[in-house]
Amino acid sequence: MTPRSSAMKDTSTGERAGVVAELEGRFGSEGFLTAAQYTKDEIPTIWIEKNRLRETLRYLQSEIPHPFPMLFDLSATDERLRRHHEGLPIGVFTVFYHLFSFDRNQSIRIKVPLKGEVLSLPSIVDLWPNADWYEREIYDMFGIGFDGHPFLRRLLMPPWWEGHPLRKDHPARGTEIGRFQFPPEKLVMTQEALQFKPEEWGLSRTHHDPDFDYMFINLGPAHTGTHGVLRLVTQLAGEEIINIVPDIGFHHRAQEKIAERQTWHTFIPYTDRVDYLQGVLNEMPYCLSVERLAGIDVPTRAQTIRVMMSEFYRLASHLVWYGTFAQDIGALSPVFYMFNDRERIHAITEAICGGRMHPNWFRIGGVAQDLPIGWDKLIHQFVDWFPSRLDQYERLVMDNPIFKERTVGIGAFSLEDAIAWGATGPMLRACGLPWDLRKVRPYSGYDQFDFEVPVASNGDCYDRAVVHVLEMRQSLRIIRQCLDSMPAGSYKSLDPLATPPLKERTMHDIETLIHHFVGVSWGPVLPPGEAEVPTESSKGQTSYYLTSDGAQVSYRTRIRTPSFAHIQMVPFMARGELLSDLLAVLGSVDYVLSDVDR
Amino acid sequence: MTGWRNGRLEGVRMNEGGDGPLTSVVGQSVLFAKLQDLLAWGRTNSLWPLNFGLSCCFVEMATSLTSVYDVARFGAEVVRGSPRQADVLVVSGTVFMKVAPVIKQLYEQMMEPRWVISMGSCANSGGMFDAYSVVQGVDKFLPVDVYMPGCPPPPHAFMECLLLLQNKVASERRPLSWWFGPQEVQQPIMPSMRDAKREERTRQREYHAIDVLPRTDLLSPHFAGQPVDPSNPKP
Repeated sequence: MTPRSSAMKDTSTGERAGVVAELEGRFGSEGFLTAAQYTKDEIPTIWIEKNRLRETLRYLQSEIPHPFPMLFDLSATDERLRRHHEGLPIGVFTVFYHLFSFDRNQSIRIKVPLKGEVLSLPSIVDLWPNADWYEREIYDMFGIGFDGHPFLRRLLMPPWWEGHPLRKDHPARGTEIGRFQFPPEKLVMTQEALQFKPEEWGLSRTHHDPDFDYMFINLGPAHTGTHGVLRLVTQLAGEEIINIVPDIGFHHRAQEKIAERQTWHTFIPYTDRVDYLQGVLNEMPYCLSVERLAGIDVPTRAQTIRVMMSEFYRLASHLVWYGTFAQDIGALSPVFYMFNDRERIHAITEAICGGRMHPNWFRIGGVAQDLPIGWDKLIHQFVDWFPSRLDQYERLVMDNPIFKERTVGIGAFSLEDAIAWGATGPMLRACGLPWDLRKVRPYSGYDQFDFEVPVASNGDCYDRAVVHVLEMRQSLRIIRQCLDSMPAGSYKSLDPLATPPLKERTMHDIETLIHHFVGVSWGPVLPPGEAEVPTESSKGQTSYYLTSDGAQVSYRTRIRTPSFAHIQMVPFMARGELLSDLLAVLGSVDYVLSDVDR
Repeated sequence: MTGWRNGRLEGVRMNEGGDGPLTSVVGQSVLFAKLQDLLAWGRTNSLWPLNFGLSCCFVEMATSLTSVYDVARFGAEVVRGSPRQADVLVVSGTVFMKVAPVIKQLYEQMMEPRWVISMGSCANSGGMFDAYSVVQGVDKFLPVDVYMPGCPPPPHAFMECLLLLQNKVASERRPLSWWFGPQEVQQPIMPSMRDAKREERTRQREYHAIDVLPRTDLLSPHFAGQPVDPSNPKP
């Protein structure tokens, strides 16, 4: 269980050299890059100084040939307890910008170290509209300011919160903070903190016509149409939506902080709950990142089992979306049919994984168990029967004239907007770009499967529904291929970082016994390094950006979720629509609150 | 003799000692009971939950409304959007510090009599989320009537807890009027399910092997998400 060596590799070769060389060609090779970091995921990672940040980002966004138009992720790390510096210019905090280029099919990570007393960076809200919430999240979680941000205030934590949770000196556990109490004065204070004051958000109460007032309607956090504890304050002129101020953080489960205390294996059950509708689809990006970090190869059988179960959970998640979306628009019966089918999928997941919504089924280097005897009959029964149900649902929902009336042309946006706001998954494909990571950056053996990437062209609520519905048929297609050609072999890797020595081998020598004991009770020690493997989950791209400092636990786990980016788009999508269309927009977005707030 | 059996009110029927068709017809539709028992019977079978979901548990609670489980059998399918019309607050999920004042307000807006079911480990005790943003159990600021274990509890667990709550509601006695009789609510002491089920659980000696599937017929008209096993009809 000793950490493997993580010597810095030569950074001047291959694909990595391309974009770094272009940057150096533009900004000069002397003094621009403070370091080029080697990461296990092969994403070019460069360190620059704070004063070069905006020009670098602007160059990458629009001036470089084959630009990087999407801000995929933006967050920070508290570096104060970091042991392995690897010659990098690590300061007190590091802020990292993860950009993505569709032309190149490539990511780039730009890191800015923060040193000294003033913790602030220039804001990039004017470059990317989705930087708004990411910068507010960093301000909330780390206390780093952004100069030029219009509304820099807490995003996830309530305004009365003291401290910045993701700093290393903030308590992690609820039991550390002390027993929760609700004396009357605290109740009054917290209730008042929930009051919405339009002036604080730059919204006017009165129209230019002095006799006309805007109406502010508070939707949520306890509202049936928001699918969870989401709060949207809408500014209305009559029935028309002028603006929306979303309030999130009612479902902030501190997953990123918990990742800093759970061992690599014991964080897997937590990933299930990041997006509670899609089970193993959460475990996939986490396990892939850990495996990349540790250099573990997953056997083909394990990969195929993973793919099969992922597609089942994609179906389960899409079925919930399908039913609740129809229900949001007023069709009350489809949700009953779809939940019944979801029950059948859960009968399968229960038979194979032992769990329904939270299966905790993937392991580092494989899956928890081999497939049980008779699994194929069960799945056969399902895949033969389910397509006819999908046909019925298309007649019931997608061909329904009322459904079309409520969704066609509602909440539409262009492909450029989708990319600028960081939309991924069905939200992006509904605008016409067939971008599916299973196809363009295959992982876990998806390149071995024959399937298509459904797209639509208008980017409205109906087209998002079309993409979801067509995707379900492709998932079935993939499951059928898994069924027909499930490879033989092992269901888990025997790499020492993945699996402790087998029990039957431990009774022969003390060394194996000790390694078994340590591996089971403490878990593996992963080599220092960083890795991130984005995957296509049911709602868009999910990725876990793991930083190991050579311990049993992660030093920093950044969870990039699609729902966060998508909910941030809701005001943009709903402006100018009627209030009743807001529910169609929300339903079509397909989000889960735990995926927004993590 | 009016009495409770399996959560149902069994009253004296007229046909005891009757001798004609009239008495037998009346006997089928007339029930004698104490007013308090009758009111409790009504409350028991119309526990309307508040439509308030927090996390994963709410999905399972919503699943119990759908036709495979059909919580309407117990009169609890009337999910109300307004706390004024709801009887039961099901705290279905993680209780966050930010959402605690909202839960407290919803509870206080509900009319008496009202009950609270704490659904899932997070609402019971914080569960696996011992984290800075999570209240370690909703009972820190609300009185809880039934605790439901599970992460998340499956729909049939939700229904079992609903029946437990029904038993409790059925044996509660509340004042009939503000001007006569005792004014306090008489709460029964409910037995711990851990103790009640211990004997049955310790008796179990046979378990499914993990590599053998239970026989499940997905397309059976009686499909209820439960394995079909004729040798053990009660799974």
